[in-house]
Amino acid sequence: MRKLLHTEQIKLFNYNPFRITIALYLVAFTLGILIYPAIDKEIPVISLSDLFRFPDVWLFLAWITEPYNAVLALVVIMITTKEFSDHTFKTQVVFGLSRTDLLLQKLLSIAFLSLFAMLLVGLTSLALGLIYSYKLTLKIALENTWILGKYLLAAFSYMTIGLMVALLIKNTALSLITFLALRVFVDPVLWLLLRNHEIRWYLPFRTITRLTPVPDLIEIFQRKMNSAEPIDEATMDILPKGLPEWLNVLMVILYTSLVIYGCYRLLQRRRFT
Amino acid sequence: MKELLSIEGLSKSYKSIRAIHNLHLLISEGQSFGILGPNGSGKTTTLSIITGIIRQDSGSFKWFGEEPVSEHRKSIGSLIESPHFYPYLNLEKNLRIICDIKGISYKDIPRVLEMSRLIQRRKSRFSTLSLGMKQRLGLAAAMLGDPQVLVLDEPTNGLDPEGIAEVRELVNNQVGIGKTLILASHILSEVEKICSHVAILKKGELLANGPVRELLAEDEIIEVSCRDNQLLKRKLGSSGLVSEIEEENGVLVLTLKERVTAHEINAFAFSCNLVLHHMLSRKRSLESQFLELVKEES
Ligand SMILES: Nc1ncnc2c1ncn2[C@@H]1O[C@H](COP(=O)(O)OP(=O)(O)OP(=O)(O)O)[C@@H](O)[C@H]1O
Ligand SMILES: [Mg+2]
Repeated sequence: MRKLLHTEQIKLFNYNPFRITIALYLVAFTLGILIYPAIDKEIPVISLSDLFRFPDVWLFLAWITEPYNAVLALVVIMITTKEFSDHTFKTQVVFGLSRTDLLLQKLLSIAFLSLFAMLLVGLTSLALGLIYSYKLTLKIALENTWILGKYLLAAFSYMTIGLMVALLIKNTALSLITFLALRVFVDPVLWLLLRNHEIRWYLPFRTITRLTPVPDLIEIFQRKMNSAEPIDEATMDILPKGLPEWLNVLMVILYTSLVIYGCYRLLQRRRFT
Repeated sequence: MKELLSIEGLSKSYKSIRAIHNLHLLISEGQSFGILGPNGSGKTTTLSIITGIIRQDSGSFKWFGEEPVSEHRKSIGSLIESPHFYPYLNLEKNLRIICDIKGISYKDIPRVLEMSRLIQRRKSRFSTLSLGMKQRLGLAAAMLGDPQVLVLDEPTNGLDPEGIAEVRELVNNQVGIGKTLILASHILSEVEKICSHVAILKKGELLANGPVRELLAEDEIIEVSCRDNQLLKRKLGSSGLVSEIEEENGVLVLTLKERVTAHEINAFAFSCNLVLHHMLSRKRSLESQFLELVKEES
């Protein structure tokens, strides 16, 4: 296990496209956050920087940075299809890895990238929270940190879907296109087609994005303005409700397990010539 | 001798192409076993199956008398078809990955790089090597950890004459110190020089299988003729001295049985009152025997 992780490290950290994509991911991530204080100056009365305060910052950042997980999924597709085109899966099998080891090594890479993404969001949220909050108590600061666990799960699930697409298609360009098509075309179209059906909340990508949902902005601003009135039902309806949180998490775990099983079956059958 | 690899009824097809069909082979420890066959006869397919790269359609094989598991391959050094490594990593890092997989120490890396004369290039990226150098790195990787078994598929592919001689010597040395070798090749002389046993494949079927010196033994062939070739032919046919008689442009072409000499044929003819006025020894080259073996029934 440690050996597998070690070989993955050698492979990844020396691979330029990997380094460049991760660098781009970091740049996009940073810009994506820096843009909010800039927008803030254009909107009077409400201040977006309120969202950067504890404890809301955890939820807000998890929500706005969730799309970047797609980049990580593309990275996984890149490194997996590269093993096919370089025939290095073959070499590794010939020298003694089992097909299950191949799956395990890629899952380790995915786990590593998920942790990286989670830490990035966690540390950024922490830093922003410390900068923007007026009142700092440990209790307020640490409220909502559970979202990081869900962020980790979201990143992991995203990347396993990428892995399955890569193992299925083998070709880099085709896999990337397929994944993007699923994400930006198939999923939204299904979502629209099923708009009158409860089942739409069970769409795999939907359950993953719902792990880090839009924070309740209205509630946050109301709290800011100290309005004591309870939020009425009408405003509540603006935010999509979807599945209960526990069911949503369960669905993601279920989908991810199925995807990993799919990857396992694909690898058992593959011909590595 | 202990059984190392047993293959039972192995078959593999690629869609409509039958790559190997119902193959049976037994390889013992310490043997140097050649798999000989023309292009497309299924050598690579066979080695790919026993090294886990592809799955057979039917049949089975056992390594060390056990059902195959990935753990076995850690004690086997293989080079299947062309070597494949991470093109963007240098030689050392590539070999480190192999060491990690096999669970051996990095200390063995300089030794195999030295052996394959790539030590100066150890910091070069794999993609910058020439074809022959890549082949040598493939061999170096196979030698990592000093495995007791080597599985090599056309190891001299792409090498210059000097390189070919070097590789043959290297492989011969390994055989010399008691390692088991499984070598696929379409070059007869290579198998002949290195191997003690050979299996000959053609279109995925096993044509022959046995010790090299029996299978590829040089038959003694002589041409004779006398005033009555037909009579001589009949007499020889029942003499038990020859295994085959053919007529070619007025001469008889005799394939002698083992240890029968031309002298005995002459004496036999004389005892039948036939005086030979033509006698020529015609050694059949191994190459032509191999071609013949492979050509049969095609
Ligand atoms: N991936 C593949 N897809 C389709 N057919 C294949 C594939 N690999 C091999 N074959 C076919 O299987 C047969 C056996 O091929 P194989 O590579 O085992 O032969 P070989 O004995 O190694 O030949 P060579 O001496 O040329 O290396 C050939 O007819 C080949 O065309
Ligand atoms: Mg071949």
